[in-house]
Amino acid sequence: MGANRQSLHAEPLVRHPQHAEEAWQMKRLWGATASYTAGGTLLRTQWESGLAPVPAYLIDLSGIAELHGIHDEADGNWRIGPMTTLTSCRSHLGLQTAHPLLTEAVRNIAAPSVRNLATLGGNIVSAVGDALPALLACNSVLQWRTEQGITDQALTEWLEAEQLQSAWKERLLVGIQLPRQTSISQTKRILAYHKVGRREAFTPSVVTVAINGQLGDDGIWRDIRIAAGGGQTRPRRLEHTEALLMENPSNSPSLAVVYQSLLAEFKPKGDSFASADYRRRTAANLIVSELWKAAKRLTEER
Amino acid sequence: MLLNRSNSGKRWRVRPDGPGKVTGSMAYLTDFSAEGMLYGRVLRSPHPHARIKAIRTERAKELAGVHAVLTAADVPGLNRFGIAVPDQPVFCEDIVRYIGDAVAAVAADTAELAALALELIEVDYEVLEVVDDAERALAPESPQLHPQGNVLHRSAYCAGEAQRGFECCAHIVEETYCTPRQMHTYMETEGGLFVLGEDGRLNVYAPTQHGFMDRMQLSRILAMPQADIRIVSSPIGGSFGGKDELNVQPYGALLAIASNRPVKIHNSRWESVRAGLKRHPMKITMKTGVDGNGKLIAHQVSIIADTGPYATLGAEVLRFAVEHVIGPYRYEHIKVDGVSVFTNNGMSGEFRGFGGNQAIFALEGQLDRLAEKLGIDPWMLRLRNMRMPDDAGPFGQPIAATEGAQQVWQALQASRLWQERASAGMGSSFSATTSEEPWISIGYGAAFTMHGAGLGVGIPDPAGGRLTLAADGRIEAVFGYEEFGQGLLASLEQMLIEQFGFAASDIRMIIGDTDVVPDSGSTTASRATSMLWKSLQNLRPMFQAKALEAASRLLALPAAKLRLGEGGIWQQEEQMLLLTYADLAMYSKERISCTTRFHFPTSPVDRVGAHFLYTYSAVAVKISVNRLTGRVRLLDQYHAVAAGPVINPQGFLGQIEGGSSMALGFTLTEEAVMENGLYLTKNLDTYLVPTIAEHRGTVEVEPIEDLPDFDQYGPRGIGEVGSVTLAPAIASAVHAATGVRISKLPIQPELLQLQDIESFLQRR
Amino acid sequence: MSLDQYAAPAVHLMVNGQDMTIDVAPSKRLLAILREELGLTGPKRSCEIGRCGACIVLVDGAPINACLAMAYQCAGKHITTVEGVAQEGEGELDPVQRAFLEEGGFQCGYCTPGMVITVKALLSHTPDPNEDEIEEALSGNICRCTGYGGIKRAIKQAVKWRNGY
Repeated sequence: MGANRQSLHAEPLVRHPQHAEEAWQMKRLWGATASYTAGGTLLRTQWESGLAPVPAYLIDLSGIAELHGIHDEADGNWRIGPMTTLTSCRSHLGLQTAHPLLTEAVRNIAAPSVRNLATLGGNIVSAVGDALPALLACNSVLQWRTEQGITDQALTEWLEAEQLQSAWKERLLVGIQLPRQTSISQTKRILAYHKVGRREAFTPSVVTVAINGQLGDDGIWRDIRIAAGGGQTRPRRLEHTEALLMENPSNSPSLAVVYQSLLAEFKPKGDSFASADYRRRTAANLIVSELWKAAKRLTEER
Repeated sequence: MLLNRSNSGKRWRVRPDGPGKVTGSMAYLTDFSAEGMLYGRVLRSPHPHARIKAIRTERAKELAGVHAVLTAADVPGLNRFGIAVPDQPVFCEDIVRYIGDAVAAVAADTAELAALALELIEVDYEVLEVVDDAERALAPESPQLHPQGNVLHRSAYCAGEAQRGFECCAHIVEETYCTPRQMHTYMETEGGLFVLGEDGRLNVYAPTQHGFMDRMQLSRILAMPQADIRIVSSPIGGSFGGKDELNVQPYGALLAIASNRPVKIHNSRWESVRAGLKRHPMKITMKTGVDGNGKLIAHQVSIIADTGPYATLGAEVLRFAVEHVIGPYRYEHIKVDGVSVFTNNGMSGEFRGFGGNQAIFALEGQLDRLAEKLGIDPWMLRLRNMRMPDDAGPFGQPIAATEGAQQVWQALQASRLWQERASAGMGSSFSATTSEEPWISIGYGAAFTMHGAGLGVGIPDPAGGRLTLAADGRIEAVFGYEEFGQGLLASLEQMLIEQFGFAASDIRMIIGDTDVVPDSGSTTASRATSMLWKSLQNLRPMFQAKALEAASRLLALPAAKLRLGEGGIWQQEEQMLLLTYADLAMYSKERISCTTRFHFPTSPVDRVGAHFLYTYSAVAVKISVNRLTGRVRLLDQYHAVAAGPVINPQGFLGQIEGGSSMALGFTLTEEAVMENGLYLTKNLDTYLVPTIAEHRGTVEVEPIEDLPDFDQYGPRGIGEVGSVTLAPAIASAVHAATGVRISKLPIQPELLQLQDIESFLQRR
Repeated sequence: MSLDQYAAPAVHLMVNGQDMTIDVAPSKRLLAILREELGLTGPKRSCEIGRCGACIVLVDGAPINACLAMAYQCAGKHITTVEGVAQEGEGELDPVQRAFLEEGGFQCGYCTPGMVITVKALLSHTPDPNEDEIEEALSGNICRCTGYGGIKRAIKQAVKWRNGY
């Protein structure tokens, strides 16, 4: 009964392109029957759970040298290859100094054995990965191979529009850029990253928040980016609240206003494990507590 | 004295099963394979409640490489299983009652082919209304899942007149407590290897907690004499009660017989979650009253347990809960009504603590609330009401007297952790915060329990074992118990060494094989170590007498001048080995072998399930609550356990620490969430058991070993008690930290968040 | 298209120091290769989605969930399972294994192969880990029996032995 054997769940064919261009051409050729694969941890989990079908082709990106590596570029920008494992991000000393938000975020993703396989690119293209709030707070830019060649796109834009753009599914992430952090004089940089799950480690995120700001010695925020996500909520910047803060001295009685703004602006998805309301309140609590801490530290130093 | 390695000295021993475990060389039964082996798979219902209209297996049978496709029509004997009541279909005939219900099974050359064969089996279902709530199941208009209705069992207890009692109370607390559907999450999922021998006998290599029970149940299903079935059941990669009932065995056995090939089944985690047992979710409503001095007057309880679609030990768990909601306290009036209800949810059944976990969470919650009303320290209220050494048990039944209750209470009171609470000035309603993170609140709490061991009055609970000097000079200790990680072998070896004087190398322990071991009863209910101890107490004089008499004849020395020792028979007073065990075995004319059989001690009452032996424990904890997130962290814990002599220090410590970890999950992270009879938590990505990060704090375990001089029962069980007392202690500490009372587990963080964080911070 | 057109390419591996070439589909999971093709049953099957750590092995010295890694990802790499942890000439046990044994860092033992591998990897790059580092390193290894007390004591003991104090 050879015919029946063919209906066995076939093992996918795995292709190993050596260049991004080649990978992109393969994906164009095979379309939805092929899947790019990086560390494969999420794909494997989805296949095993029956959440996604096993594709006919896997386009293994691991052999593409140009997709690897963490580069401290001359202009002060950092460029990270999407195939960089989460472990490599986590343990990169330069990155720890330049972008501690990202390395802290990565520390909170899965567990070391998974991080040894899983990549930063994979975490990003999942669109709900816990690196995203940190990357958003760092103003990151994604580099794609598209029909039009190499295109840069702000991470915020991609996260907002990706679901609507089916053509983007064919694109290949080729780089992640973390722009140089410009320091404003007479300010302190304030960084915070929190992931709250249902357990203390190796947990799906309920709420993830990241803050990257510069608080002036006069108590005025000169620059601030706040991002929040968690669970199936696509991470996003909370720009209305950011604007509110930029206009206000941090130690003014506006904490309540900021809190209300956060509650109004962050609209997480609830599920059977944590309500939307809990997620919203937790994100607002964490962000407000960090703002309070920053202001308090400033007062104490004065 | 705290239990740890340095305090244990030479009594801290390496486990005999340890080398095989740390090197990975020990094969679990699910690691077994055999020449020509097939892979078995079970087709389970996709619906929580449906009528089967037709099953078509032809396409699966035609698939090359498929060697057996079985349905209800292929069961030669009783198409049912269940330890207490055989009401669970091996294969459903007409109705499926939960999403783990089996409809068919296949055996094929490869796992992939077996999976494909399952897909080729066509089943027509008529979907029926799902009964997914125990309370709703009791409503008369609810669909009835069994001919006898939706009530599996009712259990009640009444003493005095509760209604009248409440009239005399100065304070009354009424509360409803809800506990989660907890999953055992043994790391090794269910599975095994099934081999039909050339002699026609069936060899079953599959974990269970009572090999002889499996043999009896399989014999019923297969219509095969018990003597033709051999169950090999250890070692086991964790069980916690979850593998006591049959799981894959009926399918493996039927497929091996039908295909006449060895068959392996090893459940995936998804299948394990779907089909396996869980802890009974219970809703416990309590009304408890005290007089003005804090003396408990009246206690009224109702329990509703969601037992799922079939019986297994649902009735027994309910009876245990009824006994333990009364627990370690004295009342003038008691009224308890419990009901265990059939639903189309997942199967509930036996799980470490056996209904005590739910009961004590509720009962201790009542004591805390009453103490608050009385304005007294909650720990003092326990002392004021606890049973005294000569008091009867919860059902008024005679029990083995100990001072355990008072001892653990005192030990906790004197513990470092409780002293820390006192010096921090922590009453029941204060919390400490730091100025850096004022949203972190600290709280201390404590709880208390007595936990019964053994199966209780009215249930066959045999025990016993055998000691034999084997032909090769090894002393064989043969028992029908199982090793699922708890350290049974280590305890047995340690007793043989310490009580008989043997060396480890003199001993061969044989367990978990129905062809060679006697029926020692089940390895459940915190009973095995007690029964091993008692067996050895009975066997020692017999074995000693036989061995020394035989040696006396061979050595021409009076038996009184001889003793058992390491390696052989020694001269009583001098350090001289006279005869090795090997020589004794070789030259002795009579076989040196002794057997003991007895029954687990029970209370002389007519109350089914009432216990006679109890372990007492008191637990103190220190926790923190992050008021931003509502998340609770356990920082420090102390356990006093009065269970008689510590048989194996490492094992005792491990059981309390491990039980406590399970209780931590029950309290904070674990719930097998179901909606409309379907699991939402299908694997360990959403069902979250504690990780090492949950266990940051210290754990102190203080065993209290004293027993009254007249006590003949020796060590009490400790397998379960560690998992019982932590939850209410944490709930108490959370209240101390936040002022919020917890009545539902796992604790919902949203209840513990500060509602007005911005004004809270602005005040700082 | 027929599968036969694509005869599975051979995967070359070094497993516990032994060179081997195996004919398997490139997407076959390492766990299945080790347990079913090579008969190495030390790595355990439990959750199969990388959430429990029972199947962790070293791939070029780094702990990896064998249930997640596919054959092609391991090609040309050194795989160490619990069976290959103990170095010859150092006695039968690695210090990590001996520490688990003596401290009682296991009960049922089903998580132990993964635990031993993870601790071995931790101590190879962090010889004297603090509590944070231990928690991070072991956060992907679930133990249901011990409550991790014995495991933490075993790590402390292994650190002492390895560092000679």
